[in-house]
Amino acid sequence: MALFSRTFRSGLLVGLVAAFAVAAAAVAYDRYDTQTLKRTLRRGAVQCGVNAGLPGFSNKDASGNWSGFDVDICRAVAAAIFDDPTKVNFVPLDTNQRFKELQNRTVDILSRNSTWSMSREVDYELTFAAVSYYDGEGFMLRRSRNVDSALELGGTRICVQSDTTTQLNLADYFRANNMTYDEMKFGNVGDLLKAYESGQCDVLTTDTSQLYAYRLTLAKPDDHVILADIISKEPLAPVVRQRDDQWMLIVKWAVYAMLNAEELGVSSKNIDEALKSKKPDVMRLVGTEGSYGEALGLTNDWAARVIRHVGNYSEVYERNVGVSSKLGIPRGLNQLWNAGGIQYAPPIR
Amino acid sequence: MIASHLFSRLACAAALALAAAYPAYAQGQYQARYVDGDQPGYIPSAEEEELAPQFKRTMVFYRTTEAPGTIIVSTSERFLYVVQGNGRALRYGIGVGREGFQWKGLLKITRKQEWPDWTPPPEMIARQPYLPRFMAGGPGNPMGARALYLGTTVYRIHGTNQPQTIGTAVSSGCFRLVNADVIDLYERIPVGTKVIVRQKPEI
Repeated sequence: MALFSRTFRSGLLVGLVAAFAVAAAAVAYDRYDTQTLKRTLRRGAVQCGVNAGLPGFSNKDASGNWSGFDVDICRAVAAAIFDDPTKVNFVPLDTNQRFKELQNRTVDILSRNSTWSMSREVDYELTFAAVSYYDGEGFMLRRSRNVDSALELGGTRICVQSDTTTQLNLADYFRANNMTYDEMKFGNVGDLLKAYESGQCDVLTTDTSQLYAYRLTLAKPDDHVILADIISKEPLAPVVRQRDDQWMLIVKWAVYAMLNAEELGVSSKNIDEALKSKKPDVMRLVGTEGSYGEALGLTNDWAARVIRHVGNYSEVYERNVGVSSKLGIPRGLNQLWNAGGIQYAPPIR
Repeated sequence: MIASHLFSRLACAAALALAAAYPAYAQGQYQARYVDGDQPGYIPSAEEEELAPQFKRTMVFYRTTEAPGTIIVSTSERFLYVVQGNGRALRYGIGVGREGFQWKGLLKITRKQEWPDWTPPPEMIARQPYLPRFMAGGPGNPMGARALYLGTTVYRIHGTNQPQTIGTAVSSGCFRLVNADVIDLYERIPVGTKVIVRQKPEI
């Protein structure tokens, strides 16, 4: 009897511990998802949240093909994993839903012109993997005014969308530089553009990538210039969930591989030549030395795949938003750190 | 000293004339949009002097720790920057050295010359006996309207009578600008200016 009871009690204990462990694991699985790569491999495609339509950044053509700068970030991840940039399911998301849809795993990467900020990482338990595009508030005005610096805008009438950080940045910038301006506020973008085009104001201000998109809609785009000055920080970056470090690292290093490739002179055009290179930096990038890819859970030629199928950063930039694209945005801040900009990738080593 | 000076007068704009099947040109005879080699005597039309938009002189965003006034040549981009400070640089479209004639480094402007003369070196004369032995500076001279001499090297920043070569890699290592631009640059840049030449990295 005593023996039975002891056995029963210890059995019960083991059972309870086991049950608790399973429950805890289930909770952990739910809250701490570390299986994104595994699920992606099983699915055979990267789940990518994008903007439904933003010139140069994310667009779907008539036959259903997605293209754009943000789109290419997901294609780079697909190339690294599958050696195939087409293995991506694109999910258009609106501004309000985007972070929630990432959180509940509708998508595994959000590459949708989203500004990296502290509150977004902390409040939504997300991680912004790497700055893909440095955006920021800028100014557009008529070319005929012959202005080439924001410091020459004192005394002008400036159109700005009301109740935005844009409006606050504008006020800060002019105050800091001891300049005055007439603020003309508009609630919606349509009115804002109309006011600018009709000459109600001299200058239009919003994020620079938007200014280039707006300029396309004007009757004579070439009559308007966008100044090189950027007065606020809007770093755009692909976003992933917290607590799946492997997945976060894959996305982060897919972006950095493209930047390092540009810095090292490796492009989709010379990738085969690069695979034969004896330069240590190049060898580590393309995977002919070291096993950086395997450490990521990928193959060692992961970066070579990205470069071959999607290109280096310069190729991606120029193709989608660069000066010879429809948008025509100069590299500016997004030039490499050693060529006049601030794009800087940590080394692969 | 004299020898190196002499050599520097000889080499630059000219060396490529080896590919030129064109003796002296007069305005109007010129047909092809792009031609290999120098064309002594050719005077480009005002229309030809007009650069493609991306190569026009422009103030651009440019961050650098180099002091204002410094010249930075980015050969792979085909741009020459004059650092202005305040995150800005004045950018000029240039023609650069062809394959095998590219170099990088840090030099100073050692001399400035208006309408430089041209004396093709003996090797070139041997290859192309029809080239002039000497050509006085002036319109039609491959050296163009101005030259800025780089250190004690054979390289220079100079003008050109072939504006269509801006944006290409055809020179023997010199950097060429259209005459309007090289005149503008000449006014801004004193002797002693630091010049940084950057190349595309080799894989």
